[in-house]
Amino acid sequence: MASHYEAPIRKPLIIGEKTYHDISVDVAAPVEGKANKLWWIAFSISLTAFLWGVGAIIYTIGTGIGVWGLNKTVGWAWDITNFVWWVGIGHAGTLISAVLLLFRQKWRMGINRSAEAMTIFSVIQAGLFPMIHMGRVWNANWVLPIPNQFGSLWVNFNSPLLWDVFAISTYLSVSLVFWWTGLLPDFAMLRDRAIKPFQKKIYGLLSFGWSGRVKDWNRFEEVSLVLAGLATPLVLSVHTIVSFDFATSVIPGWHTTIFPPYFVAGAIFSGFAMVNTLLIIMRKVSNLEAYITIHHIELMNIVIMITGSIVGVAYITELFIAWYSGVEYEQYAFLNRATGPYWWAYLLMMTCNVFSPQLMWSKRLRTSIMFSFIISIVVNVGMWFERFVIIVTSLHRDYLPSSWVMFSPTFVDIGIFIGTIGFFFLLFLLYARTFPVIAQAEVKTILKSSGENYKKLRDGNDH
Amino acid sequence: MASDKKYWKSVEELKAHSPLIEKLRNDEFVEEIPIDEFLGNKESLDNSSTTRRDFLKYVGFTTVAASVAACEGPVIKSIPYIVKPEQIVPGVADFYATTMADGYDFASILVKVREGRPIKIEPNKLAGGTTNARVQASVLSLYDNNRLKAPKSYDKTIEWNEVDTQILAKLNELKSLGKEIVFLTGTLASPSTAQLILKFKEKFGNVKHVIYDAVSESGAVEAFETMYGFSALPNYDFSKAATVVSFGADFLGDWQGGGFEADFAKTRVPKEGKMSRHIQFEANLTLTGANADKRILAKPSEQAFALINLYNKLTGNSLPSKKTSVDAEVEKAAKQLKSSGNKAVVICGINDKNLQLITLAINNFLKSEVIDVVAAKNIRQGKETEVNNLLADMNAGKVGALLMYQTNPVYTMPQTANFAELLKKVPMSVSFAMNDHETASVSNFALATPHYLESWGDISVKKGTYSLMQPTINPLFNTNQFQDCLLRWMGSEETYYDYLKKYWESNILAGTSWAQTLHNGFFNQTAKPTTSLKSIDLNLAAQEINKTFISKEFELCFYTKTGMGDGQMANNPWLQEFPDPITRTSWDNYVTISEPDSKKLGLQNFNVSNGALNGSKVNLTVNKTVLKEVPVYIQPGQAVGTIGLALGYGRSKGMKEEMMIGVNAYSLYNNFKNYQEVSIEKVDGIHEFACVQLHHTMMGRDIIKETTLATFNDTTINPSETWNKTTKVSMDHKMVPASSISLWNDHDKTIGHHFNLSIDLNACTGCGSCVIACHAENNVPVVGKAEVRNSRDMHWLRIDRYYSSDMNAKIADEMEIGVLDKFNQMEIPSNNPEVAFQPVMCQHCNNAPCETVCPVAATTHGHQGQNQMTYNRCVGTRYCANNCPYKVRRFNWFKYKENDEFDFHMNDDLGRMVLNPDVVVRSRGVMEKCSMCIQKTQLSILQAKNEGRIVADNEFQTACSSACSSNAIVFGDVNDKTSQVAKLVQDQRAYHLLDAIGTKPNVVYHVKVRNTNES
Repeated sequence: MASHYEAPIRKPLIIGEKTYHDISVDVAAPVEGKANKLWWIAFSISLTAFLWGVGAIIYTIGTGIGVWGLNKTVGWAWDITNFVWWVGIGHAGTLISAVLLLFRQKWRMGINRSAEAMTIFSVIQAGLFPMIHMGRVWNANWVLPIPNQFGSLWVNFNSPLLWDVFAISTYLSVSLVFWWTGLLPDFAMLRDRAIKPFQKKIYGLLSFGWSGRVKDWNRFEEVSLVLAGLATPLVLSVHTIVSFDFATSVIPGWHTTIFPPYFVAGAIFSGFAMVNTLLIIMRKVSNLEAYITIHHIELMNIVIMITGSIVGVAYITELFIAWYSGVEYEQYAFLNRATGPYWWAYLLMMTCNVFSPQLMWSKRLRTSIMFSFIISIVVNVGMWFERFVIIVTSLHRDYLPSSWVMFSPTFVDIGIFIGTIGFFFLLFLLYARTFPVIAQAEVKTILKSSGENYKKLRDGNDH
Repeated sequence: MASDKKYWKSVEELKAHSPLIEKLRNDEFVEEIPIDEFLGNKESLDNSSTTRRDFLKYVGFTTVAASVAACEGPVIKSIPYIVKPEQIVPGVADFYATTMADGYDFASILVKVREGRPIKIEPNKLAGGTTNARVQASVLSLYDNNRLKAPKSYDKTIEWNEVDTQILAKLNELKSLGKEIVFLTGTLASPSTAQLILKFKEKFGNVKHVIYDAVSESGAVEAFETMYGFSALPNYDFSKAATVVSFGADFLGDWQGGGFEADFAKTRVPKEGKMSRHIQFEANLTLTGANADKRILAKPSEQAFALINLYNKLTGNSLPSKKTSVDAEVEKAAKQLKSSGNKAVVICGINDKNLQLITLAINNFLKSEVIDVVAAKNIRQGKETEVNNLLADMNAGKVGALLMYQTNPVYTMPQTANFAELLKKVPMSVSFAMNDHETASVSNFALATPHYLESWGDISVKKGTYSLMQPTINPLFNTNQFQDCLLRWMGSEETYYDYLKKYWESNILAGTSWAQTLHNGFFNQTAKPTTSLKSIDLNLAAQEINKTFISKEFELCFYTKTGMGDGQMANNPWLQEFPDPITRTSWDNYVTISEPDSKKLGLQNFNVSNGALNGSKVNLTVNKTVLKEVPVYIQPGQAVGTIGLALGYGRSKGMKEEMMIGVNAYSLYNNFKNYQEVSIEKVDGIHEFACVQLHHTMMGRDIIKETTLATFNDTTINPSETWNKTTKVSMDHKMVPASSISLWNDHDKTIGHHFNLSIDLNACTGCGSCVIACHAENNVPVVGKAEVRNSRDMHWLRIDRYYSSDMNAKIADEMEIGVLDKFNQMEIPSNNPEVAFQPVMCQHCNNAPCETVCPVAATTHGHQGQNQMTYNRCVGTRYCANNCPYKVRRFNWFKYKENDEFDFHMNDDLGRMVLNPDVVVRSRGVMEKCSMCIQKTQLSILQAKNEGRIVADNEFQTACSSACSSNAIVFGDVNDKTSQVAKLVQDQRAYHLLDAIGTKPNVVYHVKVRNTNES
């Protein structure tokens, strides 16, 4: 499907004098080589954070949700904030691999593997929270519509929380299958290069006996397209459904019809930021600068800028609608959000999510690696606060002033959040050492059209 | 029929010593077991059908089977009666009429007894009984694990017969020495005990009985005696009142024993366009002041002269007085009183004989029908002079024995009295006590007495009214009643029960059946007027007042909290966790101070990051006695130049450490004056409060709808468009009531019962007895101060209290104030705010937001209108609580039972006896909330069904509705069109809380009407 011609005006997606063999070697290098000190340091830190999180979770389950900072009025805070944040981050992967595949955006090939890995790892973090936030997590299976012997007990299909269960589990499974399908030829490449029998066996298993025959490739392409078709609506549906948790409620500040598109835009926004965070480091550490180029980063920055603007419009629309509705509770909810006791969280959210991405209009800034990295972190800080603002500031002052309270996290709240960050990076670090982090089979298809040396060669010949 | 036939197994047995028989008898296996044969023979082993794998299977199976069989759930033993008591049917409650009397609270009650355990107090409505929060909570004190479980002498547990011999020896010795034997008791109001003490006097000679009320009404008692010739308190029938003017009298609280709210509430619900008008002059914001139509801030020193000025104004006399800042209001009050004729009454809460005399004189002048001096009250009998004489006698070493009952003077006496030291001068001190409190622990004998629910007794609350106290459970501990001890020491063989019965039959009953009276719990006679008015020199009284009442920079006003009273039930976790109706603060007492004064003294209240309230601390000095580190609470409505401090806290002995909380205000309570000159000094340190309500104003929202009597009576206006406005929304381009549209298909609600709860905001005084009743009925856990501070109180029913603010939308418009400033100022209560109370429990919405969001359908709708919570199904996502607009759902953050972190009644076997077996104790991680007492409604339905009749209207009760003395909470079936509640929900004052959301609640409120008419 890859044509060998590409307009000279398009920037090369693979830098330097790379051959097919070079690509194989470059992608296999982190897997075949030994981990450096930096990796071990990062790994130890992540492991420590992860273990802390595990400890905090065990403490919570053993003692009660009371070890968190919640109270009679604010029944959700960091738990669901973290949940929505992680689900949001999990959006970039599918968008990159599925939507961009359908739109034939070839620049996705350098980044889709890691973006999808990030998706899966963050959805795992996200999935943790709806579980552990339950008062009786040992009965978590009751949210599944499983025939049971408790009489005719069934789940409540009216509950958005139940829809979440379906949305998240579907998303996780489709993403996983999609990811693994793409991994098959690359695992096979690692298997073929492996010298040690153990590794050969493992990668042989992981590649599901990929043989590289035309039939394999044919089916591979077909399955990829079908899965991309399946996954695309999920990009929209998952965060739409997550937003229903709030949108279908009666709480001012939650009860908002704008939430579905606003949440999806926000999710893509934070997801791309997280991809940037991870890849800017990985391209350096794993010597993949030739495949994940400044151009890639710039394109992602543009997506961040656009989705950031959408989110900004959504914020302003919310304020407008609150005023326009004429409902005193709505009006107060938004005034309180912006100027109440949590004004600082709102300001942080506005600065990080609306203001900072606008800097990306500058070409110099959006092609600066350091700046992109900083903004990617800023955006995710902002997006965490967006969820915190939505959840906590809406709940802490709702209808009856007699119930108005404040929320303050405990060390357990913080510990669990840090634990999931540790868990996420732990998985990603392991992934970076054992998986082909670039979809090399796909990248190879564009080497001759978008590789720098081939483009140069071709452009030279033209003249 | 035993048979000694013997059957022979074989002929061989007939032979003696047969070797075969011997062999059979000795060897289990008669033939050699061929082990070698099948183990040694490899070939046969190989051919054997039991393979190694089979063998492992068997071993595996048996191991698993054995271990599975060993796994078993925890065994909870339920032991049946061996000999079933005739009266007790398991699962069926018995009710006994009895009377609570602890020297502070007196109430005719019904006790619900399940399987021999008293578990709930209900008012004995037949006897006109009402229950306040403390009476409701008193059942828990029965199961207090810190009770004195056996008599003690010098810190050693002894037997009762030893007690008797030792004390008797001492008494006889003292008798021969001619020393005084003094009974120091709280107000007993018990006719039979009074007679018993008289008999004791006959026997032992030099015996005195001193009555000492910890919180004294001595001024009123002495004034009454001066005026009417006998020692008592006037009774008031507020249901007859058209105008009430109160000078610092918290008559909806504990003033003169309390219990007036039921009658008063009758005049507060507008009937035929009329309701009473209530004017309150006071310094502290009391429950009464909070309910007043007009509340005027005045220091006690000003109240005193305002009262004289009122007298002068009304009568035209000119008693010596001073000008006060509230004279204009006094003039208006005088007019109002005059216009009400003999339906007016003036009352005074300052404990000063002269002021009380003037008050009585005013009521006399008004010929007030409200005041009743014939059936006068007996429930406060302590007199200042008698107590002071006793202290002097003790100091002089005249007192040989001090027998203390229902009193704890070491705790309640002011520091200047130095009672603990005086007690050491008494050769024999005996304290009859329920727990090893401050006095009992330093007395020579601490004699364990039973709780009133284990005791016999009689009480005469007022003249002509008698009620009986009967035990509802066998004594839990090795206790003896005070009266039984006296009888034994007098050498009588009688028990107090015999004595009581005989006394009643010969003195009170006049032929009426004892059994029937005991069943009813009370016996009423018409009180005979024995009073003759004495002439009093009011001029002298006024002159005295001019001498005593001198305005001071700061005047300290003592008060008692609705939840704590005089402090004898301080070890009761329900009461500790009960939020004060005004400050909404639990687990504490504190100085209440006005906002201007707090600024002047640099005192602060502020909220920390989780919202919890912190405050500065001060040292209070009264007449050189210093009370250290008293927390400060800035109280809207506190008169400038005054501070308030609650008595009853700061207990230090015989109770759980967690309950030894607050400061002991009694140490400053000099000369029984409930006002004192005080100096305040700020000290370092921050106090942590446990408030359940952190925000105090309504923010301009229509939460408690209010109107004035004039507007209410205006027939030209349509209530639903003015003072009881229904929210309207646009539907098909027409404005329709918001509650008329729904997302859901409605069910037919007209079949069967459909329960509604009606709450009249005019009748509700905010007293909170419903809160405790709900606690007791529904096994609501106590979470402790730290958790209340974390905003995790578990109350199913709370009483929101709102203050008015100086800012509202109208003012903001007029003054062109920006929206942000408007809301910021709306958060600040006025300095003398109007106050409104609103009990809020689950609203049982017909379109409940909680029901739609639960993923596991743990909260669903009952066909009788209840929103039901299935604890067993709940997984604890808390989504329902988030989506509840009323925020009434409560989550079990921790395990609150059998957990040392929550060491309250649910953590010991004794305390758990109070649990209602009809209501499950919730586990950790589940949501809970008001169930509309479904266990009670179901019981009523089943009883009626068994008896083949229709349920009567007043049969349906919730815990809150039956505890409500003022009849503000009415519960019932709206499908029964004749029921009271069906009429109430149709009332023009009825509205649903937050009706704009369309939740269609089954709880209905009634618009609060304030009588602002001045005449």
